[in-house]
Amino acid sequence: MTPKNNIVIGIIIGLVIIASYNVDANPIEFVEGLPNLAIVVEEMLLVEPKYVPTAIWAMFETIQMAFIGTIIGFAIALPLSMLAARNLNSKYVYAPVRALLAAIRTFPSILWAILFVIMVGLGPFAGVLAIIMYTVGFVAKLQYEAIETIDSDPMDAVISIGVSKWQLIRYVVIPESASHLLSQLLYMFDYNIRQTSILGLVGAGGIGFYIINYIKFFEYGKAAVFMLVVLITVLIIDWISVKIRDKYIIKSQHGMEVTTK
Amino acid sequence: MKQTPISKKPSSSLISTKKIIQMNNIWTSYDSKNFVLEGINLSIDRGTNYAIIGQSGSGKSTLLKLMNGMMIPSKGTIKIDYVSPNMNDKKFKNMMHTIGYIPQNLGLVKNITVLENTLLGALPRLTKTQSLLKRFPEHEIQEAKRILNLVGLSGKENRKAYMLSGGEKRRVAIARALMQKPSILLADEIVSELDYVTAHEIMDLIADAQKRMNLTAIMVHHDMQLALEYANRVAVIKEGQKILEIGVEGDSIVDFQTGDMTYDDIMEMYADDAQK
Repeated sequence: MTPKNNIVIGIIIGLVIIASYNVDANPIEFVEGLPNLAIVVEEMLLVEPKYVPTAIWAMFETIQMAFIGTIIGFAIALPLSMLAARNLNSKYVYAPVRALLAAIRTFPSILWAILFVIMVGLGPFAGVLAIIMYTVGFVAKLQYEAIETIDSDPMDAVISIGVSKWQLIRYVVIPESASHLLSQLLYMFDYNIRQTSILGLVGAGGIGFYIINYIKFFEYGKAAVFMLVVLITVLIIDWISVKIRDKYIIKSQHGMEVTTK
Repeated sequence: MKQTPISKKPSSSLISTKKIIQMNNIWTSYDSKNFVLEGINLSIDRGTNYAIIGQSGSGKSTLLKLMNGMMIPSKGTIKIDYVSPNMNDKKFKNMMHTIGYIPQNLGLVKNITVLENTLLGALPRLTKTQSLLKRFPEHEIQEAKRILNLVGLSGKENRKAYMLSGGEKRRVAIARALMQKPSILLADEIVSELDYVTAHEIMDLIADAQKRMNLTAIMVHHDMQLALEYANRVAVIKEGQKILEIGVEGDSIVDFQTGDMTYDDIMEMYADDAQK
C-alpha cells in the first residue's frame, strides 16, 4: 500500500463521515432501534397459514404482470436498441434514440406506476404499463451494449456482400447477440417479479398491495406470509433461469458442451 | 487428400488483359494523420491469382478492404471492374454481391449452422418477403449443399459454426464466398496459423474454384513460399508502399518490377532490417 493510496482511502472515509452527518445517519440510533426489530420479527413468526392461498393467488397475478411487462417491453426495446447501436447507425440516428431511452430510464418503475395509476386508475394494468416502460428503458440499454460488443468480423464479411441493413440485423446481429438477449430477457423477468411485488405500494396491483396494507396495520404475521411467498417464488424463478442459462446460453457463448441431467 | 493439380496457378489462357482492379496513387488513413498506404499503384488482370505479402501492419489488409469498397481512400482513384467503389451507389452495391470477401478472422456467424453461414452469400438474391421470413428458395439450398460438397463439408451442413476445426471454418468461409457466384475473391491471410498440409488443402480448394468459376483471386499472405506456389503475380507491401511486384510462371520469375521505389531505396530498407 503506497502513501498515495492511504490518502485516497482516508479521503473516502472522511467523505462517508461528512455525508452521514448531513443525512443524520446515526449508528447509535440504529443500535437503540434494534429491540423494535426484535418485536417485528417476533410478530412475523406468528405466520397465519390460512392466508397462503390468497398470497399464492396474488403472487400469480404478480408473475403474470411481470411476464406481460417483460415480454412487451422487450419487444419494444429490441427495435429501439437496433437504432441506438453505434455500430449500425449514424450519429444522427443513435444520439436521439439514446437520449429518449435515457429519459425513460430517469424514472424508477414506482414513479411510472404512480403516473399510470393517475392515467388508467388503480389496479394491475397500471402496474403492467409501468413495468413495460421500465423494461424498455433498461433492457434497450443492455441490448444496444450487447450489440455493440458483437464481433465486427462477421458484420464486415456480410456488409461486404452488399446486403440491406435489415438483412444484416436479421442474419448476423440477432444470431450473434442471441445468447446475450436471452440472458437479458431472463434477468429482466427475474428483476421485474421483484419490482412488481412492490408496485402494489402505489395501488398498481400485485402482491405488494397486500404486504403494504398489512404492514400499515401492524399485522406483521399476515405480511410475513406474503413476503415468504415472494421469497420462494424468486428462488424458484432463479433456479429455472440457471437451468435455462446452462442449457442454452453458456454452451453457445463458449462453444462447449454442457452436460444437463 | 485431393490430387494436386499439375500447375496450381491459373493458366495464362484464363487471364484476360482486362483490368479488374486499378489503383492509382492511393493514400489511406484511419485518423487523417498517419497514412497506412502511401501512394500505391496497382493493376490486376481478370482471372489472375494475385498475392499480396507483407509483415503485419504493412497495410495489406487495408489494401484488400479498398477492393470491395469497405474502405474509401483519402487520396487517389480506384476502379473495380471500371467502376468507382461507393457503397451508396446502386451500381457498385450490385457489384458487391459478386465480390467474395473473407476477413482475417473469417467472419462466420458462430451460433448458426454451416449451411446457414453458406446461405448468407445468397442474401442479395432473396426477395424482401423471403428475407423477412428467413426462407431461402429450394434451389439456393441445393446450390449451398453442392458448394459444401465441393469444399469437402458434406454431412456437416447442420453443425454449428463454433463446433468446427480451424480448417473446416475456412472451408465454410470459402463456401459462403462461392455462394455469392463471385467474380472476385478477396481473402485475408486465410491459411496463416494452419499447418502445412491443411494450408495446402485450402489453397488447392481456392485454385480449383478459381479454374471452375474463372474468378480473380486476390489473397493476402504472410508466407512468400505459398504466394509463389499459387500466384501469377506477387506484390510485396512494406510500410504502406509497394516495394516489389513479380510475375511468376511455373517456378520462374518472369517479370520483376521494383514498384514505386528505386533499387537503392530497397537496398537501404533491407540494410535497416538487417540492423534490427
